[in-house]
Amino acid sequence: MDGDRVTASAIERPAGGGGETALHAVKRFLPVRLDKHWNNRAVSAVGETGAGRFNVWRNSFPAEHLPAPGGELVVGDVPYRFPQTTADGDNIRCAGQYLPLPEGRYDWIHLLASGERRVESELALHFADGEVDFEAVRVSDFWAAPARFGEREAARTPVMHYPHHVQQGVAAVLWSQRVPVTRIATLHGVRLPRHIALHVLALTLESVGPAAPDGDR
Amino acid sequence: MTTALLPTAAGLWYRDVISCLWATLAENIARAGGAPLDVLGLHWEFRFRPGDVRSEEFYFAGAHPDDVARSIAPYHGISSRWHRAADDDPLAELAGLTGRGMLPVAAVDNFHLPFRPAYGDVHAAHLIVVHDVDPAAGTVTVSDAMPPAFSGVIDAAAFRRSWESANPSDEQDAFFSDSRIDRRYLTVTVDELPPLDRGLLKRALAADGERFAEGDERGPAGDWTGLPGLRRFLDDLREGAAAGEPGALRDAYPFGWGMQAQAGLHGELLRRLGVEHDVPELREAGRRVEAVAHAWTGVRLCAAHGHPDPRAALRELHGHAARLEEAYHRGVAAVHDAWRAL
Repeated sequence: MDGDRVTASAIERPAGGGGETALHAVKRFLPVRLDKHWNNRAVSAVGETGAGRFNVWRNSFPAEHLPAPGGELVVGDVPYRFPQTTADGDNIRCAGQYLPLPEGRYDWIHLLASGERRVESELALHFADGEVDFEAVRVSDFWAAPARFGEREAARTPVMHYPHHVQQGVAAVLWSQRVPVTRIATLHGVRLPRHIALHVLALTLESVGPAAPDGDR
Repeated sequence: MTTALLPTAAGLWYRDVISCLWATLAENIARAGGAPLDVLGLHWEFRFRPGDVRSEEFYFAGAHPDDVARSIAPYHGISSRWHRAADDDPLAELAGLTGRGMLPVAAVDNFHLPFRPAYGDVHAAHLIVVHDVDPAAGTVTVSDAMPPAFSGVIDAAAFRRSWESANPSDEQDAFFSDSRIDRRYLTVTVDELPPLDRGLLKRALAADGERFAEGDERGPAGDWTGLPGLRRFLDDLREGAAAGEPGALRDAYPFGWGMQAQAGLHGELLRRLGVEHDVPELREAGRRVEAVAHAWTGVRLCAAHGHPDPRAALRELHGHAARLEEAYHRGVAAVHDAWRAL
């Protein structure tokens, strides 16, 4: 687990009496380490394109056109820790893994992810009190595709890596997608779906609350 | 010669759910002045023909086995027919067609096409549109909307190697190789393109419901159709995987592409028409039908990755099969609601 990253923003919401009052709130972002769950290689360098295993054709994202391994990638205002390749890979190919999370109250789970074609599935959100909610997760195709589910584009590369060559003109796309935490309760962990087409490269938790450090959250 | 009308690569109609079959039909529809989505997205069904799946990117088992275009777009005056060019001067046949303003669709092996990512690497059966043959220059003008899109001139010798390929079995592509190309080509004729008004839309939605209510084993080929046919297909897939039958899962990937494309386009069209007609139920039906396309991802990719060891894939396959069946049921119900709302 990394330390909190705090960014400030202002929102407006209706106040009693029909007027509107500007309130200050903060978004707190918490990137979560996933590397012990890596089970797939999504990114390859130009000299080792054959190492990629993102899809059934063994295509992969070109490292030369992505953030440095272990560096920060900010999409919109969401900071992700970009994966560092290990011997096990650089991403989670979803197979029902359970990810323990730093306990806390969160509003959003942000995923740096991509799909081998369009993916609609669900996450199981586990709470400290034993409750479990299933929430939809939707991620667009990585293969030269548009955002089908309203995600933010996190990276679109000018080339695609093939096992034996670098292909010009075919983009590989990473998406920044969010999943809501609707229950006002302490989140404990999340189970990924059994969905071989869904890859998660990074996860960041977000909570939104009053600027005061001892607010009601 | 039709190269004056050659679209740019960026101008070719494409969606990320489609295969080259839809892309090449779309180009013929666009050439005739039609809107590809309106024509290709109006019809929706489930149809599986046991024992028929071929390892080609353009495999599709339609209700009219000899007319794939009519099968995909039965509400419009579009028709197609497969041919095999003669041994003697086969390019002359294509030249004759392009000379009459037609856009024949050639089956090709990607291994021999310089603009395909698989060039010199992977054998795979694919479709491209032929715009012109220039015997004097030794060139063929072609277009291909599938990424990386291409529109331009290639060497006639390269085209012929691709068009005449045996497309041998390729361990890098278990799904689209091992299917001879043999100078096949599809001629597409586009005649009447009726306007997609409210009446035609309502008729198409009513037909959606009727087809999905059908029992299985329809027609002379014994197709598995409708929701009962879908259940039978999924049961067969799961039982084959549970038994560890070699090849039990392999066909689901090429077969499912057609079903995924059809659902994706139907859903997109219904959503768009739901905006144009301001019918919320129609927009919701479109999204439900698109969810069918997205559920196909799970079945197709689980099968593709899992086909070497079907038993190992069974646990995940059960979940995707259940989700796909549920998506179809919800899609059909939503289409019925949209039909009532129109």
